Amino acid sequence: MSTSVKKKEVDFYPEIKDFISSQLKSNFLASNHKTLHVFWEIGELSTKLNKIISEHPAECQCLKEYAQTVPPLNLDIFAVITDGEHFEILILEVKYLSSVGLQQLSQLIGYCIVSNARYGILLNIDGQGSSRLTNLLQNDEDLSKIIRLSKGEKVEHKLGFMIWDSITKNFEYTNLGQLSTISGLSDSLSRDFSK
Amino acid sequence: MTNMNVDKAYLLGLIIGGGVFGKSDNSFHIRLPYNQWGSVEKNPVRAGKIAKDILSVVSPMMRGIYGIDATYEATDKEWNVQCYGDLSKLKNDLVSYGISPNGELRKNVSIDGVVSDLIDDNMKRRFIAGLADTIGSTTKSHRRFSDDTQILSFEISGFKYDFVCQLCQLLHSINCYPDQVLWNHPNFHSANDRYYKPWKKGFKLRVKLDQYDKFGAFAFKTKVESVSENRNLQTYSNKKSPTCENRPINVGMSCVHIDEDSDLLPPIIRNGHYLHNLHVCCVLGCEHAPYDKMEEVLNDACKYINPFSILHKDSIENIQNLLKSEPIYSNRTFTVEKANVSYIYNLYQKSKHKLVYGTDETNGYPVNILVQAIAYAIAGKNGKLNGKRISGNQDEHITSYLKSNNKFDIILRIPEIPTVLIVECGEWSAMVGAENPNLYSKLISRDSNNKFKLIVRDITEEDLHEYFG
Repeated sequence: MSTSVKKKEVDFYPEIKDFISSQLKSNFLASNHKTLHVFWEIGELSTKLNKIISEHPAECQCLKEYAQTVPPLNLDIFAVITDGEHFEILILEVKYLSSVGLQQLSQLIGYCIVSNARYGILLNIDGQGSSRLTNLLQNDEDLSKIIRLSKGEKVEHKLGFMIWDSITKNFEYTNLGQLSTISGLSDSLSRDFSK
Repeated sequence: MTNMNVDKAYLLGLIIGGGVFGKSDNSFHIRLPYNQWGSVEKNPVRAGKIAKDILSVVSPMMRGIYGIDATYEATDKEWNVQCYGDLSKLKNDLVSYGISPNGELRKNVSIDGVVSDLIDDNMKRRFIAGLADTIGSTTKSHRRFSDDTQILSFEISGFKYDFVCQLCQLLHSINCYPDQVLWNHPNFHSANDRYYKPWKKGFKLRVKLDQYDKFGAFAFKTKVESVSENRNLQTYSNKKSPTCENRPINVGMSCVHIDEDSDLLPPIIRNGHYLHNLHVCCVLGCEHAPYDKMEEVLNDACKYINPFSILHKDSIENIQNLLKSEPIYSNRTFTVEKANVSYIYNLYQKSKHKLVYGTDETNGYPVNILVQAIAYAIAGKNGKLNGKRISGNQDEHITSYLKSNNKFDIILRIPEIPTVLIVECGEWSAMVGAENPNLYSKLISRDSNNKFKLIVRDITEEDLHEYFG
């Protein structure tokens, strides 16, 4: 007799990574007529950035300086998104809980600030957001759009909260935060890379 | 020019599949033709999930992409996604793709503009997912001869042949080859009955679920769960459907329907007679159509065409009126005789396709159809009809009649030259058309502008006299 084993959070990473990569690549090709590269890793940021650079030297030269200066930081899952000339970091804070709240959002904000990652998505698998999180993200725009000074330069972080539906293998958008849709993230990347 | 993206592609699929625009500048709705599948009364659990799908999938995406609010309204027959807000951004997108935001879009739409902007397979899949969530039927009744081939059927009302062709080509482009297209044409919805009026049942573009699952997608959880339930009924996984070029073409007999010249049909299709669903593809000029194979079939078209009803079932009164209404019938002299059901049934069991009551072996009435007509008349007399369909098994009706001690009379009216044979029993009657390929070949021609389009003219008294003398 076979018994079904409940999947763990990490078991969903491959389908989530594949889905986001496909959507970003399609959108970027449509808007910028260029191929976008999305490289995913799990674990310590600096180490894994260097791994990505060594594995994809042609596309990731633009990452080198950043990889050397970024402080040590352990992440659930992150992506380097690059067109070969520019890059941005997307951090996913993935949870597999019935409800996520401020604690998880705070964690994501912390990761983004420490790493200077411009984009962060809090992602709950088959779950919801707490009412407090929902209220705060609805009523306080600044909570998901953080502008700060780093070494005298303006740095902007955009955050969003989405739900991963493990049955449809698709996102349910919550319209909470600055990144309300994957296409919204693509638009923002497209603008970044066109500068 | 609009900036296409994956979310827009999904929403446009959804809107083209079900969008209905009225006069209002700030509202429209997306009709989800879920009927019994999503009925609040018959399937309340599923209905609850459909509501959740609309609120959790469509509503936030519509808000995020177009700034439009979306909610739902359910009746027992259908679901509507009600959309409110400033529609200008959405309407601009539709217009830029050559789609006029008026009325029920899928009845009058060309998707060429949208498709040309779907930049890769992933984006195509998102667009198809939107269509599948609206018009993709996962009702189990679409299974064919067993539970082992479950189907996703894109159901499209109206007469936009080019839309169906474009959708089929789009599926081809991601290597998802449709299993079959049922065209909204009387030759397919009423191949046997020349006079059947309610043939306008829409298009059905069918894809094997096993195949769709690999290439397509849904965003509605209810659809994914329904597909999963249906696939669990299968005892094996189905092979990929072959490409249209490599598909065997099995042609059956079809009658020339009185509505082949219907104004509802687009000019390219109107006045044509179609032998097979792939024949329509050839006439439409689809790049995937099997032109060489179809040419071979068309050269033998007279074997597959009957200018009379193959089988028309009705009341005795209506059939008698029909016989008076057309000279080709009213000019006939009918011999009336009592049917020897036992003899006919024995012939049928020996050779189902044998022609009877003809002038030679090349013409006459196919005995299998005559048996169907007799079974209809017996079932009618015995109160065993469901509309015009026989309840239960045809052979059981006949054998039960043959065993009965109180046999009622079944009358045959046989014309002096093979045209239509009439079966009568009580209030029930059926008309059986004669096969005669040698004569019918004279009725067939090709359209001078489209060599794959067959035109079959009505049979005349002169044709009969010339042939039979």
